[in-house]
Amino acid sequence: MISKDLIRLIKNIIAVGVIALVGFLVYYFFFSDSGEEELRIDDTPIHIESIRTIAEISTVSYQDEVVMDTVEYYKSEPSIYHPTEWLQLYDRNVKRRLTLIVKGEVKYGLDLTNSNFDIKSTNDSIWIKLPSPKILDVIVSPSKTEIFQEQGRWTDRDRKRLEAKAKNTLQLNAKIFKLEEKARVNSERLFKKLIQSEKIIIISFDYEK
Amino acid sequence: MKNTILIIFALLAIASCSEDKDLPEVEVYEIRNIGELSTTEYTVGKIIKLDDKADEWYKYGDRKILINCKAKVKAGVDLSKIKEGDITVSGKTLTITIPPAEITSFTMDSKHIQTEMESVSGFRDGFTHAEKNKFLKQGEAAIREEILHTDIIKDAQMNAEAFLNDFYKQMGFEKVIIKQGEQDDK
Repeated sequence: MISKDLIRLIKNIIAVGVIALVGFLVYYFFFSDSGEEELRIDDTPIHIESIRTIAEISTVSYQDEVVMDTVEYYKSEPSIYHPTEWLQLYDRNVKRRLTLIVKGEVKYGLDLTNSNFDIKSTNDSIWIKLPSPKILDVIVSPSKTEIFQEQGRWTDRDRKRLEAKAKNTLQLNAKIFKLEEKARVNSERLFKKLIQSEKIIIISFDYEK
Repeated sequence: MKNTILIIFALLAIASCSEDKDLPEVEVYEIRNIGELSTTEYTVGKIIKLDDKADEWYKYGDRKILINCKAKVKAGVDLSKIKEGDITVSGKTLTITIPPAEITSFTMDSKHIQTEMESVSGFRDGFTHAEKNKFLKQGEAAIREEILHTDIIKDAQMNAEAFLNDFYKQMGFEKVIIKQGEQDDK
């Protein structure tokens, strides 16, 4: 035999549930900005801030995708006896979380800006002194960045920190493959293709200004 | 006791419905051999402006945002597209046909993205990072389109010709003829 108290408790839980559901639906449909509607930014012109003449030869491109995740937990474990902490239980004790997926490209090559190289030609050979290959670009952009999960409030500074970490990870991943060496080999091949000569071509990567 | 058991079951039911997204596993990378000569770098700025007025009767309040962003765009020629026969030497004269200049890199680093103003009134929600990223994507698309209306491609072509001219003259050629090839549609 079910006691009257238990029936009353079930009724109360159902009533609270219905009120909470109605409240949520009213908020969701009438007040929340769910971000599903497509908002269009205003048409504003671009302004050129600087123009620079450069001479960079990129010879290796490394494309990768990194996941950056940051989670903050509540300091104490939630108690099932405190209704105010039920939400904590629902969220697996996660207070806030931000996860980004960043696709990026790292380009290696030679920076020959301001004639940062030297060529000497003799009767039988051509000597080319080039600078050591290095990272020329770490390319990231909003179109290649996805906000995979956003829970709780995060500042722009938090997001920037995460994106900076993503850039750093991309560079570290690239280093594993020893791409400086690959860039060196490719540069040599490219210059030999550009210099069509019967002379002996000697390329070194030790130019320093 | 019975009450406690009931509460536990109710909470377990709620918790079982919660969505716990697993982190995506990423192991996709690509290494490509390229041969791009970038000769011009433009730094451009844009103000991303959005005024999200409450159009519906049941929404009360407005949301406005201004984001200042910068993009670094490089342009030049793809030297890997130079084919055999594009370079000919006749005595002290060298003739080279180079492909047309194009955008070689586009970077819009979050370091140079700054929310200048964010205003939310009434019962509206603040802007989420997912929303801000959508606006930035639109801004990026606009910059990518508008940059082509500047002189970046012309400058890149001119600078590439100047660089190659200087390079070959240092090698001992007295005359360097640089021709522009056709746009590769591939």
